[in-house]
Amino acid sequence: MVSLAGGLYLGWALGANDAANVFGTAVATRILRFRTATILCAGAVILGALLQGESGIRTLSSLSAQTQRTLAVVSFSAAFTVTLMIFLRLPISTSQAIVGAITGAGLATHSLAWGGLVKVVICWAIAPVGAMLIALIVYPLVTTFFRKVPMSMLLRDKLLWGGLVVVGCYGSYALGANNVANATGIFSGRLGDITDRQLAIMGGIAIAVGVLTFSRRMMLAVGKGVMPLEALTAFVAVLSMAVTVHALAMVGVPVSTSQAIIGAIFGVGLLRNRQNLRFGMLRNILIGWSLTPTVALILSAAGYAIFAG
Amino acid sequence: MGRKGRFIVLRNRQKEIEAGIERYCEEVTTTIELLHSSLEQYICQPDREALRENLKTIHKAESRADDLRAEIEVLMYSKAIYPESRKDIMELLEMLDKIPNCAEGCIRMILTQHVVIPEEYGPEVMKLVGISGHAVRHVLEATRILFRNYTTATVAVGKVDELESDGDRVEAALIETLFSSRRDGFEKILLRDLFLHIGKIADRSENVGDRIRIIVAKRRI
Repeated sequence: MVSLAGGLYLGWALGANDAANVFGTAVATRILRFRTATILCAGAVILGALLQGESGIRTLSSLSAQTQRTLAVVSFSAAFTVTLMIFLRLPISTSQAIVGAITGAGLATHSLAWGGLVKVVICWAIAPVGAMLIALIVYPLVTTFFRKVPMSMLLRDKLLWGGLVVVGCYGSYALGANNVANATGIFSGRLGDITDRQLAIMGGIAIAVGVLTFSRRMMLAVGKGVMPLEALTAFVAVLSMAVTVHALAMVGVPVSTSQAIIGAIFGVGLLRNRQNLRFGMLRNILIGWSLTPTVALILSAAGYAIFAG
Repeated sequence: MGRKGRFIVLRNRQKEIEAGIERYCEEVTTTIELLHSSLEQYICQPDREALRENLKTIHKAESRADDLRAEIEVLMYSKAIYPESRKDIMELLEMLDKIPNCAEGCIRMILTQHVVIPEEYGPEVMKLVGISGHAVRHVLEATRILFRNYTTATVAVGKVDELESDGDRVEAALIETLFSSRRDGFEKILLRDLFLHIGKIADRSENVGDRIRIIVAKRRI
C-alpha cells in the first residue's frame, strides 16, 4: 500500500501539469474562470479514467513481473524522476517516467516484456507526430470555415471560444482515459482484491486532485511554450491532441499529452508562421523526452539492486 | 432551464446586443445630421434661439446614445458574452461615444462663446462638416459590418482615413485663410477653435476606425 502512494503522487503531478494542456488557453484568455476550468477538467478526467482507463492499466501491468518491493521501487523511482524534471523546469512525461522505471526493474529482474515495450515506445513517437498530422488537416478546414462563412464577430467568438471549452472537456476525458495507467497501472492484480476499475477510479481521482489543487501556475504560463497561442491555434491543438491521445488510450498505451500538444502546435506553426516557433523549447522537449525514461530506468534498476535485489 | 432554452437565451442576448448597437449607431447618425442642419441654418441666419433649440435636440440624441451604451454594457455583463468580445465592444463604444459629444460640443461652443461664423467661411465650414459627417457614416457602417461579416469591416475603415485627411486639408486651409484676414485676434482664436472642433469629429472617426482594425486583426485567421 505504501508503494501506491508513489503512484498517486504521480497522478497528482500529472494532473497539476497536464491540465494546462487542455484548458490553459481558455483560462489564460479568461474564456473560463480557473475554478470552472479545473472542475470541468477534473470531472472529465475521472470519467475518462472510469470508462476507458483500464486498457492502459492492462498494458502497463503486463510490461514486467512485479513484487511488492519492485512496486515500491518502480513507483518511487518514477515519482522522483518527475519531481526532478519539475525542479529542472523540463517538460515532464509521467508516461515515460513510469515506463522507464518499469523497464529498469524489468531489466533487473529479467522479466521485461520486450514486445510490449516496443509497442509503447512506438506509440510515444506516434503521439506528437499523429497530433501534428491531425493539426495539419484540421487547421486548414477550420480556417477555411471562418474565412468563407460571413459572420458577426460575436458569433465567431462564441463558436471558437465555446469550441475551446468543448475540446478542453474532450481533452480532459482523453487525458483521464490515457494517463490514469501511469498512476495506478502497475498495481493491477497486485493489491489484493482491488480491481482494475477501482484502480482507474483511484488514479482518476489522484489526477483530478492535482488539477484542482496545483494547476494554476501551469495554466497561467500557457503561451510561453513552443509558440504563442491564440484561440484558433489552441482549439486546433487541443482537438488534435485529444483525438490522438484518445485513440492511443483505446490502443491501451499511455503517452505524454504535453508531447502530443506540442506536436499539434508545431503542426499549426508550420502552416502559419514558422518564425514564431521557439525551437529552444523543442530542444528542451527532446532533452526531457530522452532524459525522463533514462533517469527513471537507472533509478529503478539501482533501487532494485539496493533495496529489492 | 434546459440546454436548448439556455442556448436560445444566449442567442437572443447576442441579437439584443447587436440590435442595441444598431440603435446606438442610428443615434450617432442623428447627432451628426443635426449638427449639419443646425450649422447650415446658423450660417445662413445666425439665430441663437433656433440654435439653442437645436442644441436641445442634439443633446437628447446624445443622451439616448449614452443610455443605449449603458444598456448594452449591462447586457454584456450578463455573462452571455466572452470577456474578450466584451472588452472590444466596450472600447469601441467608448470611442464612438466621443463623436456625438464632439458634435454637441461644436454647437455648445458657438452658443457659450457667442461665435458668429462669417459668411465668407460658410461654404468651407460646411464642407468640413460634410467631410466629418461622411467619415462618421463610414465608421458607423464599419461598426455595423463587424456584426454582419467582421472580416470585411476594414474596407469601410479605409475610406474614413481618406476623409480624415481631406478634413485636415480643409481645416488647415480655413485656419490659414482666417489668420491671413484682418479680423480681430480674439475672433480669430474663437473661430480657429471652432474649426478644430469640427475637424475633431473626423479625427474621432479615424480613432474608431483604428480600433475596428485592431478588433478585426485580433480575429484574423
